[in-house]
Amino acid sequence: MRLLVIEDDDTLRESLAAQLAEAGYAVEQAADGREGLYFAMEYPVDLAIIDLGLPEVSGLDIIREAREKGKTYPILILTARDRWQDKVDGLSAGADDYVVKPFHFEEVGARVHALLRRSGGWASSLMTAGPVVLDMARQEVTVDDSPVELTSFEYKIIEYLMLRAGQVISKTELTERLYDQDFERDSNVIEVFIGRLRKKLDPDNALKPIETLRGRGYRFALERSQSE
Amino acid sequence: MSSLSARLLISVSVLLLLFFGATVVVLDTAFRTAGEQARRDILDGHLMQLLAAANPNDEGALSFPPDLHEERFNTIGSGLYGELRDDGGELVWRSRSALGLEIPQGGFPQLGTRVFERESLDDGTPLLTLSLAVQWEFPDGELKPYVFKVAESLDSFNAQVAEFRRQLIGWFGAIALIMLLSISVLMRGLLRPLRQIETEIGEIEEGKRASLSEKFPTELTGVARNMNLLIDNERARSDRYRHTLDNLAHSLKTPLAAMRALTEDVGSSTQLQGRFNEQIERMDEIVRYQLRKPAAASAADNLVLGPVPVAKEVERLVSGLGKVYHDKRPIIESEVAPNLTFRGDRGDFLELAGNLLDNACKWCKERVAITLESSSGPQGLTGGMRLTVDDDGPGIPEEAAEALLERGMRLDEATPGHGIGLAIVRDIAKSYGGTLTIGRSALGGAKITVDIPPAASGR
Repeated sequence: MRLLVIEDDDTLRESLAAQLAEAGYAVEQAADGREGLYFAMEYPVDLAIIDLGLPEVSGLDIIREAREKGKTYPILILTARDRWQDKVDGLSAGADDYVVKPFHFEEVGARVHALLRRSGGWASSLMTAGPVVLDMARQEVTVDDSPVELTSFEYKIIEYLMLRAGQVISKTELTERLYDQDFERDSNVIEVFIGRLRKKLDPDNALKPIETLRGRGYRFALERSQSE
Repeated sequence: MSSLSARLLISVSVLLLLFFGATVVVLDTAFRTAGEQARRDILDGHLMQLLAAANPNDEGALSFPPDLHEERFNTIGSGLYGELRDDGGELVWRSRSALGLEIPQGGFPQLGTRVFERESLDDGTPLLTLSLAVQWEFPDGELKPYVFKVAESLDSFNAQVAEFRRQLIGWFGAIALIMLLSISVLMRGLLRPLRQIETEIGEIEEGKRASLSEKFPTELTGVARNMNLLIDNERARSDRYRHTLDNLAHSLKTPLAAMRALTEDVGSSTQLQGRFNEQIERMDEIVRYQLRKPAAASAADNLVLGPVPVAKEVERLVSGLGKVYHDKRPIIESEVAPNLTFRGDRGDFLELAGNLLDNACKWCKERVAITLESSSGPQGLTGGMRLTVDDDGPGIPEEAAEALLERGMRLDEATPGHGIGLAIVRDIAKSYGGTLTIGRSALGGAKITVDIPPAASGR
């Protein structure tokens, strides 16, 4: 999951980025509005965290611009001005939720989870598809109620695929969204991880949770048990 | 007396009344005097005619021909009468016109002098009389004193005078009326700019215009310009004030957020972390509460604050909160009186409705209702607003309600910001002269009502 954090206070931004990275997200950082706007428009982003009071280009303008250009990823506002006018302006401009400074990281983490889940069309933080259940909050996957041991990267892949269950996800998209650094991009690695995931989730090859569509990518094939 | 035009009209009316009154009296007197003088001359002429017509007869007395040259002496009741008396007062001759009438007998005037008198007949008809005593020398040389008297009825003269007076008063009255009308029309024209200033100030108060227009007469442009300057300054001051507070809040809260992130980041002992967080929380509350002041500091801010159409703002709030409470999916019903406006600052309205709706969404099971009605104040002032937010949550116990309104006091630490939100709402309501009441809703939960009275207009 690739997140974009646009915040001009260095300490706050770096600390937030570090904690998000620790939680398993790939994080892009932008320190001012101009850079933030560029990242928001040009980078593959799954969710953006945008401070409203930014130098050069305001957070509100970035949100408007992104929505105007058809960007649909969820946007979480950070605001220091705890006035409803700012919150309402932000939400009307196209943001999906807000967090008021100073915040606990858990609060931001929970909102990010919820927004990502919502953007994938899931109503609860337990994503259930047949026997497979993924708990975003605890980063756990169970099959028929028995926990599956996954590495953090394996978890990232299955989380991404399950969030977009039914959609075809290309290898490029997976590498872009899941890797933190460009140089690690290697599609073979993805194939290896997908293979391992299949073995762990479906040792008997009975469920076939992940489909391969030749030349196009992968798809989480199990029917959602509950969704929006 | 407060109206300039009423003052002017009354003063002008009094002056006109005095002027025309005096003129009427002077003209009337002059007309009457001139008329009377003419009557006397005519009467004198008639007397001379009588003298010429008198002839001594054979009996040594004076007599008159049966028909006098002046036809009116011969016609009964013509209004012109003549008579002749001797020195004993005995009637010698009376004109035919005086048949059946008794002309009052005056005294015996001095020989050779004309005596004019105002007398009246028995039936009250006013008369102007002229008597002349003469010594008549008969052919035998005997001298006998006689009194010649002519009398003319003043009825027609008085009627003439009355007609003249009536016309005089009629014309002057009409002229005075026309003058007063012209003056009041003139006054309206002259006072129109003042009325326009008044109207425009009213429009500024109602938010229909931003400043006074510039098309005033020279005498008033200074006033209008200064008024605009005052309004602009006041607006700028108010904006600057809020801007400063916002910036201050922003510049204090970002470091607070950074501090909190750091304490969570370094993984310091949880006890120390907790104590740090406690302090950060306190500082945050102080910043939130102290730096969020209502835009309206006093009723005098009317000129600066326009009306906020509330329906659109409520719609935006409800749709925003729908996103924020996406998972809980509360059913938010809103009922806003058509064309309702809030006479104040948009930010303040959003603060009122936003905090209350947010709290309701936090606490409700599934239903929230927001109602906005117009209300009227004392003396029939309109433009007040009643904002009610209901929910079907646990409600607020009565003893807790008071405590909740205490500044910054929290009812439940688990739902941060509930207390502060209400305290902010209460402060804003208060700054508009309004009240906040907490009660029980028909939905089962809390019912929070904010009453904003109509702004007391300066007009």
